[in-house]
Formats: sequence, structure tokens, C-alpha cells
Amino acid sequence: MKRKSSLISQQMSSQRKNTALLAVISLALGAAILSQAGLLAEAVQRVFVERATFSSVIALLGLLLIVMVVRTLLSYGNGKVGLRMAATAKTNMRAAVLQDLTQASMPSTLRGQTGGKVSIALDAVDEADSYFSQYMPRMMEAAIIPILILIVTFTEHANTGFIMLFTAPFIPLFMILVGLKTKNKSEEKYAQLAEFSGTFLDSLQGLVTLKIFGRAHRQQQEIERSSLGYRDATMGILKIVFTNTFMLESIVMLSIGIVALELAIQLLVFKSMTFHTAFLVLLLVPEFYSLLKNTGTAFHSGRTSMGAIHKVEQMLEETAGKSEDLNSTEGAGTSDKIVEIDNMPPIMELDHLRFQYARDSFELKTGEITMGPGEHIAIVGKSGSGKTTLLHLIAGLLKPASGTVRVNGSPLSQFDENAWFKHVSYITQHPYIFAGTLAENIAIGAGGNITSAEIERAAEEAGLAALTAQLEHGLGTFVGEGGRGLSGGERQRLALARAFLKRPAIILFDEPTVGLDLHTERVLQRSIAKLAKTATMITVAHRLYTIQQADKILFMDNGVLVDAGRHDELLERLPQYAEMIDIERKRGEHHE
Amino acid sequence: MNELAVLSKAMIQERKDILLSILGGFIAGIAGVALFSASGYLVSQTVFSPPLYTLIVLTSMVKLLGLLRAASRYGERLYSHRATFSMLSRLRTSFFAKLIPLTPGILNRNRSGDLLARIVGDVESLQNYFLRVAYPPIMVVMVFLATVLFISAFSFWIALLFVIGMLATAFVVPGIVLLGQRRIHGRVREQRAQLSTEVTEVLYGFRDLKVYGQLAQREQQLQQASATLAAEQQRAAGHLLRGQSMHALVTFLISWGVLALGAYLIMSGALAGVFLAMLVMASLTVFEEAAAMATLPAYKEDSEHAAKRLTETVQPTDVQSLRPGGALSLDQAVSLELSGVTFQYEGEWRPALKDVSLHISPGSKTAIVGPSGSGKSTIIELLLKLRTPTAGDIRLNDVSVMELEEKSIWEAANVVLQQSHFFRGTIRANLLLDEEEHSDEQLLDVLAKVQLPDKSLTDMVYEKGENLSDGEKQRLALARAMLRQGRLWLLDEPTSSLDYVTEQHIMKHLYAQTAQDTLILISHRLTGLEEMDRIVVMDQGKVVETGSYSELMEQKGYFYEMKKIERQMIGEAAV
Repeated sequence: MKRKSSLISQQMSSQRKNTALLAVISLALGAAILSQAGLLAEAVQRVFVERATFSSVIALLGLLLIVMVVRTLLSYGNGKVGLRMAATAKTNMRAAVLQDLTQASMPSTLRGQTGGKVSIALDAVDEADSYFSQYMPRMMEAAIIPILILIVTFTEHANTGFIMLFTAPFIPLFMILVGLKTKNKSEEKYAQLAEFSGTFLDSLQGLVTLKIFGRAHRQQQEIERSSLGYRDATMGILKIVFTNTFMLESIVMLSIGIVALELAIQLLVFKSMTFHTAFLVLLLVPEFYSLLKNTGTAFHSGRTSMGAIHKVEQMLEETAGKSEDLNSTEGAGTSDKIVEIDNMPPIMELDHLRFQYARDSFELKTGEITMGPGEHIAIVGKSGSGKTTLLHLIAGLLKPASGTVRVNGSPLSQFDENAWFKHVSYITQHPYIFAGTLAENIAIGAGGNITSAEIERAAEEAGLAALTAQLEHGLGTFVGEGGRGLSGGERQRLALARAFLKRPAIILFDEPTVGLDLHTERVLQRSIAKLAKTATMITVAHRLYTIQQADKILFMDNGVLVDAGRHDELLERLPQYAEMIDIERKRGEHHE
Repeated sequence: MNELAVLSKAMIQERKDILLSILGGFIAGIAGVALFSASGYLVSQTVFSPPLYTLIVLTSMVKLLGLLRAASRYGERLYSHRATFSMLSRLRTSFFAKLIPLTPGILNRNRSGDLLARIVGDVESLQNYFLRVAYPPIMVVMVFLATVLFISAFSFWIALLFVIGMLATAFVVPGIVLLGQRRIHGRVREQRAQLSTEVTEVLYGFRDLKVYGQLAQREQQLQQASATLAAEQQRAAGHLLRGQSMHALVTFLISWGVLALGAYLIMSGALAGVFLAMLVMASLTVFEEAAAMATLPAYKEDSEHAAKRLTETVQPTDVQSLRPGGALSLDQAVSLELSGVTFQYEGEWRPALKDVSLHISPGSKTAIVGPSGSGKSTIIELLLKLRTPTAGDIRLNDVSVMELEEKSIWEAANVVLQQSHFFRGTIRANLLLDEEEHSDEQLLDVLAKVQLPDKSLTDMVYEKGENLSDGEKQRLALARAMLRQGRLWLLDEPTSSLDYVTEQHIMKHLYAQTAQDTLILISHRLTGLEEMDRIVVMDQGKVVETGSYSELMEQKGYFYEMKKIERQMIGEAAV
């Protein structure tokens, strides 16, 4: 519980001013409620009991009108403060989440589903809203106003005060009962709802299969049946809730009834009371109970909110813990980062790298490897052997648990990240294309000022000219998010154009495994060769051609960098490598 | 309002529960008003020192009314929620039914998941429609009318004041709230969608953005969008809050009016003073019943938006209006003829297929190869009449698909799609999707043929086949196709996740079974194509070349080049 509230208390402490404002407004609101009831009772007393003239109550009525307007304004004000708190808290929390997401380390972006993270940044933060906009103002009102009402009732007529004091605890008690009884069940229900929605979605996604196999209508009946089943399950829980609410309302109603009876007896039998007091009490009693009842609903939404806030907190904590780990392994004491990197392309050295995504996953291990300036390195191995992870480590996207990547003799971690990445291009099998024009997508490859002529040239060098010539708006054509409308080959060429614009000293390249169109194949081979003339190129290689041409081949097996050397060297001394090449050859020949 | 016709229909079907909940709500509302009026009257009466028994009658009436109110509130809640959930289930079923003929046509290639998730969400958000949009006005008007009727027995003018109050709370205030509502909410939705897309984009492109040094800039953009969203949300909520406050103010004003008018009428002798407290109490209570009216616009807007999107989604296209009667015969192998077929996915700026002409003779074996995105799978979708070509004609056994009933095509075809779907249930249930009779021996025999001899028919398959590997799913999908009686085989990369040896075993059985049938096999691997009668090579939606394996290799054209590249590939054999 302590930890759960830490993010909330953090938010609350930054909003102390607003909280104080809430308290002041609530106090004033309480005063307004009391004066309204008092004035109302007084007016009825004068008109009905004292038979005063209309003109004598006009001032009273005017005052009452003012109090009513003030009361409305005050509760509006309370709501406004709540909304302001909610907006600030949400902005702060979302800022923390977004910062967390954008400054996260590579492993944490690989872990977990993108959808879930987006949902935390949007839905969970939005759900936190009602804690600040509903729960806080209501709770403040409930903490202050009923006490004011009680004090007034006690001074006016102590018996009613006692009745209220004795019955009031039943309301939170029943609220808690409702909560306890339904909590587990409603959690179950939500799990069921999620599953049910999942099944619905599942059926929709499988609809094509269902249609072809003539099963669609049967699935429709299935949906109807499970939907009704879900309804009945929900109703079961709701019945408990409603029964408890029934009890609660009965208590409130009975209490009001008892108060009324007691008032009548006082008035009639003992004649110890004025009409004014009786009517005032009668007006205050429902206000008292409805405030307490409001607390219940506010409490409910507050709890949902707290759950959401907890989710946000968990995510922040998780990554905070992670980055601490990483920092400790990242060569401490390097407050002055080296901003400029000379002598490009550099000499790169891997020195006994160790890396593990999680405790139970495989561990990546390397020995000592040197990659000379301008060399072409191929990383080979079966799928899942850690090729991409090694590439990430070399790129500095992942920090090794131990060991160092050295660039021109200095550890990579000593370089300023941006300065380092200025020299690096990373061409993946699925390059990132954002919603924007083709030109904008290419321009991401270089910071600063780029002329459209430069972009055009880069596009041409990457073999995009034929495509843009076909398009009405050429490079100004808008491509959707994720490169909608572009084929896989065109996306690759776009990534190449970025590299041409950047002219990197280090190219990291994940060779495509599946068939691209021939045109792209040719462009890739030609363009990569051109780019690699002035750069160190490290390729996750799937093509025999690339492997044979490489100055050095790094052979990975189950996370371990087994050996490094030229093609013929490895063929001779590494049986696993020879076997792999052999299998491929046979596979090719088999179908001749 | 037209969009909500679906909802109204569903509501009529639940009329019994709805009537019961209206009855409950009405009694509860009236009982509440009566309760407070009675207690006001009770206190006033005491001034005249009436006999004790009238007091006892009155107080017990107050208590009874209190209990009645609580009890009928219980009934109202129970029935209204039951009606809501029943309606929701009806809606789901009816939308599913409407979607059946429209898939996969309404699904865009890239965003199908989004669209479907949206449909689920939209149906879900319709649950507020009855409870918070349709129901409150009925309740408010009924309770008000009854109260006004009661009040008019005492004073016509005060009753008139109540009517004015009712009009203000039921129509004027919600109307004012609704005015700005649409625009503000539209903006909030837009901002939210934009932020969501941007966050997703950043997460997907994390590595590239980091290498390109764009993350800091992106974060700033996100922070900005987030702040804008919070501000817009605050404005929307503020708008709603203003509505609620306005409602509260109107309530107070009417009570005040009742008091002032009552005072005046009493002075002028038109009203007995003993009723004043009662009337004031009645006015305070009756407006409490109307509190739901203040939040109505927000829910109305939400439900309308959801309903509109849903009706737009399931809008039947003109193609569906045709009800062709032709049937594809099961007795003979099917011949296929595509002439000048062009197809363009909705929302894409170039066709997936461009002027494709192809003749496939009955009983022949054809492979379609080409890079991803070249239009291979689209051909299968068109052949199955899952989509209709933008231009050109497709003929099966010399009958245009437009004249053939979809079901008969599906019955005649044994299909393995690239993404085969599996359901929660046993292996047996997933194999027998088509409800045909097969003995367990037959089923086990097929499982053995697809190299899944270890699977038992009673093994469970999880939702979407989550507990199966890709290779197992492909083998099960093949088994499912092999159990069918069709004479046209359409296989879309059925063995892409299998190792070479397994693939060869399965293909041997498959070729044996399909000896007399027409077979179309889509493949992005170029191995094992020697046995095909013909290979069709596609690139960018066009047929580049066709011929047998040896012909194509001799031509040294596109296929030959592709084959050369494939032979160079290494390190993906271990899949």
C-alpha cells in the first residue's frame, strides 16, 4: 500500500496549493449549504407560521437567491480545481512515461508489447484522471461538510444529531461490504469480459477461414450464446451490488424517517421545538446522507484510478531499476564524454563482451576481436544464434553486462551518444518509415540543413528514381505510417537513401532473408558496395556472396562467438562452419 | 439519429425488461418526491397540533415510501442492466452476421487488426446508450408529469413553474451543453488518436530514431502533444462541469421560485400555508431525479459516434446486392481463366494486380512465385471471391465468378491461407470445421500424412492456436484442407515454416492426393518446383514470365536470377 501511493503522494505534494484551495472552497461550500437551509427554513417559518407580509420576506428571499448562486459557484469552483489538478497530474505522469519510453535502453524496448506500452501512456494515464478530478474534491467535501452539518444539528437539536451520528457509520460499512463482496468477483468478471472480447475479436479475425469452411453461422450462434452467458455472470455480480445498495438506501430512508418521527414527537408531544428548527433539520438531513453516499461513488472511481496509477508506477519502477543496473556496468566516472570522434572509419575492438536479456535467456559471449578501418565484417550463424544482438552491442544500442567495445582505443561508453550515432547507419530488414513525405523520410538520415537537390541525389543513388518518376508528387508523395503503400523493396531502398545522405563511417546492415524483387536486389548490392567503399561495414549476412567477400567472418553459435576469420580459413579450421556451408550447397544442388 | 436505428431496434426486442425498469424507476421517483413532500407536510401539520394518530399515519407512510423507493430502485437497476446486456449481446451477434458477407473486403491489408479492435470497442461503448441516453429523459418526463399533476391540485402557478423547470432541465440545459460538445469532443478524440499513433510510431522506430539522433526531438513532440491533449480534455471536462453546475443552479432557482411564488400566493390567500414546506421539498427532490440529464449529452455524443462508425463499417457494398445462383461442380477438376484482371486495395495508391491474364487448365499444377508484395496472395483472394476485381473477369469452369455463388466456390476449393485460423477447442474440432463426417481413423491418417503423428485428436488448441508452433499450424491447416472433397487446391505458402525433409514428405502425400485436381501453390521459396506443370513469376502485380522449371531456367530470365540469389542464401535453413 505504501508503495502504491508513492506516485500519488508525489503528485499530491506538488499540488499542495490546490489541495488547500479545495479545503477552503469546501469549507465555504459547507457554510453556503447551511445558510441555504437556514434561510429556507426561516422564510417558510415567517411566511407560514408568522404570517409575515410578502414585502418583509423579500430581503430574505433575495439573500437566499444570492446564497444559492454562491453555492453553485463554489461547487463549480471545486470541480474546476479538481480538473486543474487532474490536468497537471496527467501531464506530469504522461511526461514521465514518455520520457521513460524515449530514453529507455534497447532491451526494455524489445521487452513487452508495444500495444501495452501505448495503452499505459494513454489509457492508464487517462484513467488516473478521476482520482484528481472526482475523488479528491468529493473526499474533501465529505471530510468537511458533514462535520459542519453535524455541529449545526447538534446545536440546534441534539437528538437528531445522535440519530445521524449512529446511522452514518452504516453507510461506509455497507460500502465496504459491497466492495469486499464484489471485488474478487468483479475482477473475475473483468477477466471474463477481456476473454469474451478476445473471443469476439478472435472470431472476427478468423472470419475468412470460417467463411471458407462454411462455419460462420455456427460461430455466430456461439457468440450469441457466450454473450448471453456473460450477461448472466455480470448480472450475478450486479445483483449483489444492487442488494447492498438497496440495504444502504433503506438505512438512509429509515434514518430520515426516524428523524422525521422524532421531530414530530418533539413538536407535538413535548412542544419543545420551533417549526424553524424542525424544518431546518429536515432540510439538512438529506444533504448529510447524500454527501456520504457520494463518497462511496467517488471512492469507487478513486480505486479504479489508483489501479491505473499503480500500473504506470510499475512500468516506471521497472525501467528505473533496469537503467540503474545498466549505469553501474557502464564504466563509471565518465562525466566528460568525448564529443568528437576522429579518424573515421575507426578501428573497432570487442573485448570479452557478455550480454544477457534476462536471467533465463541465452548469454552472448565474445572473445577479443579487432575490426580494422574500412573492413567488411560478416556475422553468420543459425537464426536465434545472437547475430542481431551482437550487432546491437557493436552499435552501442545495447550495453554489455561486462567487457568493452572500443572505438579507436577508447571505450564506446565514453563517447557522446549523438556524436557516435552521427557516424553510424543501421539498415534493418524492416526500416522505420514514419507518416510523412518520401523526402521527409529520407531527410531523417542527416541532421541540419539539406537541400532538396541532395535528397534527390540520395534517392537516385538508392534506386528510388524510377518509383518517384511514376508518382504524381514525386518525392513529395505522402507515405502512411509504417510505410503503407510501399513494398518491402521500396522500404529498403528508402533506408539506403537515408544512408547515402548521411555518408556514415560505420554501416550496420541486416541482410534481407526473404526474396526482394530483383531490382531491389541489384540496387542493394550495388549501392551497399558503393557506400562501403569509405566505411567499415558489419553485416548480418545471409548471402554466400557477402560472406565470401568479407574481410572477416564472425561465426555465432548459440550466443557464443565461436571463431573469426576469412571464409577459406574458417572452412578449414571450423567444422561447424564448413558443415553449414555444405548444407546450403547441397540444398541448392538437390533441386538441379 | 439515423445511426441509432440499430439500437432502437435492439431496444424494442428487450421491451419487457425496459418496461419493467421504467416502471421501477417511475415508482422510485414518485416515492422519493412523495416521501420528502410528506415529511415537509408532516412538520408543517404539527404547528396545528393535530391528533397523534394522523402523525403516526404520516410517519409510517414516510417510512413505507422510503422502503418502496429503495425497493423499486433495486428493480429498476436490475431490469435496466439486464436489458442493456441483452441488447449488447444482440448487437454483437447482429454485427457479426453483417460482417460475414463483408469480410475480407472491408479489411484493408495493413490495418485489419485495428479495425476489428475498433468494432469490439465501439459495440462495448454502446452499452451506455440505453442507461444514460435513452432512459433518463423518459424517466424525468414521467416523474415530472406526475409531480406536476399532483402540484396542480394545490396551485396552478406553482405547477406551471415546475413545467418551466422541467423544460429547462430536460431540454434547455442539455441543449446548451450539447452545443459546444461535439466540437470539443471531436478535438479530444483527434488529439488522442494522434498521440496514440505518434507513441506507437516512436516505439516501432525506436532503433532507427536512436541511430538517427531523432529521439530527443520526438520526445519533445510527444510531450507537446500530450500537453495539448490534457488541455483539451480539461476543456471538455470543464464544459461538462459547467453543464452540471447549470443544472444545479436551475434546480435551486426553481425551488427558490416555488418559495417566492408560494409566499406570494399565501399572502394573497390563494394557497394554504401548510403546503409551503411540502412544495419546497417536492421541488428540491424532483430535480434530483433529473441529475442524469446533465451528463446525457456526453454519452449521447459517444454512443452516436460509436454507432455511426459501426453502421459505416457494415454498410453493404453494391456488389453484395447481387445474388448469383450458379454453382461450381465438385465432379471435375476446375479450369481457371483470368483475363485482364486488375485489383486495387482501398486506400492504396497503386493496384496490387495490374492487367493479369492467366489460363490454368483443369488438373494442372501451377506455382506462383515472386517477391513479397507482388500480388500472389491477392490472386487467391480473387479466385475465392473474397474480393472482387476492380477490372477484368475471372472464370471458373468457364463461368464468371460474378455468376457463381460464393459458397459453392468455397465448397469446391481446398484452401490453405497464409494465416490459418484456429479456435479454442480440440484438434478434432479444428479439423472438422466443415462438419463433414470423418472417422477417427481417417483423421489420424491425415495427421500422419502431414507429419503430425504425435498429436492426439483430443489435444487442446488454444485461442488462435497460440500453443502451436508456426510449423504445426501449417501442418494442421494442410490436414484440414486434405480432409475436404474439393477439386481445386489453393495453397498460399503452406510449408514456409517447415524444414526441407518434412516439406518433401508432406508434398509427396499432397501430390498423390491431388493427382487429378487443379492445384495452385504460392511460394516464395524456389525449391521443389521441378514437379510443377507451370511456374508463374510475378513482380509488382504483373506476370513477368511463365513456363516449366526447365524452360524458365533455360530462358535465364527473372526466375533464373531469383534462383541464383536464393542459392546464395545461407543461415536461414535452420528455421
